Amino acid sequence: MERRNYRTNVWVDWCPGCGNFGILTGIYRALEELSLDPDRTVIVSGIGCSSKIPHFVYANGVHTLHGRAIPFATGIKLANPELTVIVHGGDGDLLGIGAGHFVALGRRNLDIVVILHNNGVYGLTKGQASPTLPLGVKTKSLVEPNIQNAFNPIMLALAAGYTFVARSYAFDTNHLKNIIKEAVLHKGAAFIDVLQPCVTFNDVYTADFYRKSVYKLEDDKAWDPYVRKPEEAQEKMLRAMEKALQQGEKIPIGRFYVNPFVSTFEERISQRLKAYPGLNPSNSVIEVQGEPVVNQKNFEKIFRDFIIETQTL
Amino acid sequence: MPLTELNAILGGPQGSGIETSMMIIGRALARRGYGFLANREYFSNIVGRHSYIHLRVKSDEYPRSLTYPVDLLVAMDAETIFMHFEDVSNRGFIVCDNASLHKTLEEAPSIEDITRERIKKRCNELGLDCSVESILKYLAEKKKASLISLQYEKIIRELFDKYKIDPRQLSRYLSGIVFSAFAVLLALDEDSLRYALSLHFKERAQIVEQNMDLYRIVVREMGGYKGALILAPPRINQKKTMFVTGNDIVAIAKIVAGVRYQSYYPITPAADESVLLERYSFIEDENIGPLLVLQTEDEIAAITSAIGASLTGARSSTSTSGPGFDLMVEGLSWAGMNEAPVVITYYQRGGPSTGQPTRGSQSDLFNAIFAGHGEFARVVLSSGDHLEAFYDTILAFNLAEEFQVPVIHLLDKFLANSTATVSLPRLDEIKISRGAIVREAKEYKRFSLASLVSPRAFLGTRGVVMWYTGDEHDEYGHIVEDPENRIAMYSKRIKKMSLIKDRVPSEQKIGIYGDRNPDYMFVGWGSVKNTVLEAIDVLRGRGIRAKYLNIKMLWPFPEREFVEAAENVPADRMIVVEHSYGANIAKLIEMNTGISIEKSIVKFTGRPLTLKEVIEGFELIESGKEKKVVCRYGA
Repeated sequence: MERRNYRTNVWVDWCPGCGNFGILTGIYRALEELSLDPDRTVIVSGIGCSSKIPHFVYANGVHTLHGRAIPFATGIKLANPELTVIVHGGDGDLLGIGAGHFVALGRRNLDIVVILHNNGVYGLTKGQASPTLPLGVKTKSLVEPNIQNAFNPIMLALAAGYTFVARSYAFDTNHLKNIIKEAVLHKGAAFIDVLQPCVTFNDVYTADFYRKSVYKLEDDKAWDPYVRKPEEAQEKMLRAMEKALQQGEKIPIGRFYVNPFVSTFEERISQRLKAYPGLNPSNSVIEVQGEPVVNQKNFEKIFRDFIIETQTL
Repeated sequence: MPLTELNAILGGPQGSGIETSMMIIGRALARRGYGFLANREYFSNIVGRHSYIHLRVKSDEYPRSLTYPVDLLVAMDAETIFMHFEDVSNRGFIVCDNASLHKTLEEAPSIEDITRERIKKRCNELGLDCSVESILKYLAEKKKASLISLQYEKIIRELFDKYKIDPRQLSRYLSGIVFSAFAVLLALDEDSLRYALSLHFKERAQIVEQNMDLYRIVVREMGGYKGALILAPPRINQKKTMFVTGNDIVAIAKIVAGVRYQSYYPITPAADESVLLERYSFIEDENIGPLLVLQTEDEIAAITSAIGASLTGARSSTSTSGPGFDLMVEGLSWAGMNEAPVVITYYQRGGPSTGQPTRGSQSDLFNAIFAGHGEFARVVLSSGDHLEAFYDTILAFNLAEEFQVPVIHLLDKFLANSTATVSLPRLDEIKISRGAIVREAKEYKRFSLASLVSPRAFLGTRGVVMWYTGDEHDEYGHIVEDPENRIAMYSKRIKKMSLIKDRVPSEQKIGIYGDRNPDYMFVGWGSVKNTVLEAIDVLRGRGIRAKYLNIKMLWPFPEREFVEAAENVPADRMIVVEHSYGANIAKLIEMNTGISIEKSIVKFTGRPLTLKEVIEGFELIESGKEKKVVCRYGA
């Protein structure tokens, strides 16, 4: 099902100037350049402004519950591992209410891409502080400065076990598009932290702020985030963490850590269920013309441990 | 006189192998053609607290319910004697450890203080000094009980000397004494024991031999008691029997139904089902699997990942108990909104909150039916016994897919943890029906309003693109808040309920048992069924005609079938039986039919209703002394 235009005719209802527009453009371009089949691609999202994105993309879309995009996506990907599955969610969604699932995906290293729309606030509910807004910062609609501290999404992704960890900026769509493409092609759990202004509620971390503060890791020719031999993994992760801690006036974007040597969840499953992923939950036979594949004869064979042949004396 | 039935309790500290003893006894008896039913009672604890098996053996039918008093009490420790001495019948048998004899109530530290006080009070009433010895003396004198005290340690040492077993392993062989003593009293033959041991210990032939030797030592030690509780020859005449727990039979049924994705978060009493499913997740030669069994990070991920898998066309389910179900509710509502088929197997335990995590209940009826915001179609099924649970599990998947609704299969701990001999299910009666499926489409509308059930395409179907959303949506699955669309979509989802009511055959909604023109009608659902049916038989013997309505489809409520079945019975002759405080099915019936049932027999101690309690409860109601009887028997 080839397609060059991934737009739907649904009106995009984000605020003018919203960072989500940049991310949406990045997605369109990445899908185009990868020529992903809309019928074999699934965009899964949670709840919030950013999570409306599936409706704007001509590919299968599953707009789920607040915080739960990752487990929905997990079920989809495990049951049909041939699908390309991309998760979108905001910082409140993926890292607040859904943090447990975010960590679990890293542990599994399932081949899913997670794109974090990170703007520091809960936009759709009018600007409350999110888990990525630093302590003491007062954005427009906060009554008092933020009393909770932020945590670092890159550090969390690294600690959780994501094997592709990157950051981009919503309005650098070329950079973002390239990272999305690489994340899709990566085998394993991929995480992209996308810095994104919220024009309506975040008057601190604005487009101006980001224009001045972001810099590209790849501009440093010596920066090499790729684990090229399994034994390099720890050293590369330590360096990635060091970079991740830079959060002040200069914020690095680009690839922090890419490790292709960790087994994917699909590979781990295929160790147990030999035919997987070729034969999988979505394509295996369960009935023939309404008859179950288990009949009286093989039932007794399969479940012999639970059947006792009586022998009266 | 040989017995046609035997009731017994085997008790000991949790972790001491009491369940192993039960499995050996049960399988040996099943091998010889007897019917067997056993319930396991235990604390939320790994080692040390009092656990026991309450069981019943019958020679003429598969036992349907458990009852007190028991003919035999086999005690691993003193605590078992303190907890169960009043369960023993006149002329009953007690097997205990010689070393327990001098123990006093104060020397059984794991007994809860409240229980200890109650036992102490009872001992005082009986003029006993709260020691095992005095209790046994009382049983021997007042109840003519036979006491068999064995030297457990000496017996095991004899075995250890022969096999040079490390003495620290002692506790692992206690289960051998228990099943051996049981086998001696029933005069079970060695071949049946060997058969059961071989099934249990599989390739570990030496353990089988050690246990057989242990049995022979116990035979010698018990001398003249061999055959003291001998059973009549079996008359059940089944060539084969299943020997399963409720968890087992549901897992087996899910394999037959073609489940391909099962998620779960560990919780009692549901987890065993998933663990068993994992054992059968791929059998290439038999076209079983691949079935993915995923232990998720929480129950929210369990339900949502199961829904995700279902969207790709895999038959999906999750298994849980009350606390887990509570976490799943938002996902349930999403499934309702998105017409996503998914099966939730819900084993009730004692709530609220953590409640009594290892005890049973039927107190979550309303939770299963009404949980979730908004209004949407769902199906709630219950099963009265193991075999019903088998067929209903398959029905649950069929209904979920045919009508594109979440289906909750509401079971309980009593069923989950009861081990029973069960007739083999008839596979030729089973149909797998997957509902309307779209394999290709020009312009696909996932939520087409052309029919109440919109034909379903799976995520990944070639040439088909679709959208799902928890928001109100148009036919394509895009967010739309238009009021007219809202009416059309909202109504479509709910109207599926009447479709379900029309299509599901009456016998799958309500099971009707007993007399057609009864003096009394019992009403219940789930695991009280067989206890009530047996009570009806007892009452018939007294000239009282009774009927039982086993409500199997709890939602949408089958009001037409209920009203028809209840036609010739006045409401004041109806009695609800339920493991709850509120006899909640009565409220559900009233809400749906206007029939108000005021009489009930309930139990919410977490222990199962027994035959004796239902009979006694009925007597209190019939005599007009009580309207609501609260049962409380069982340790």
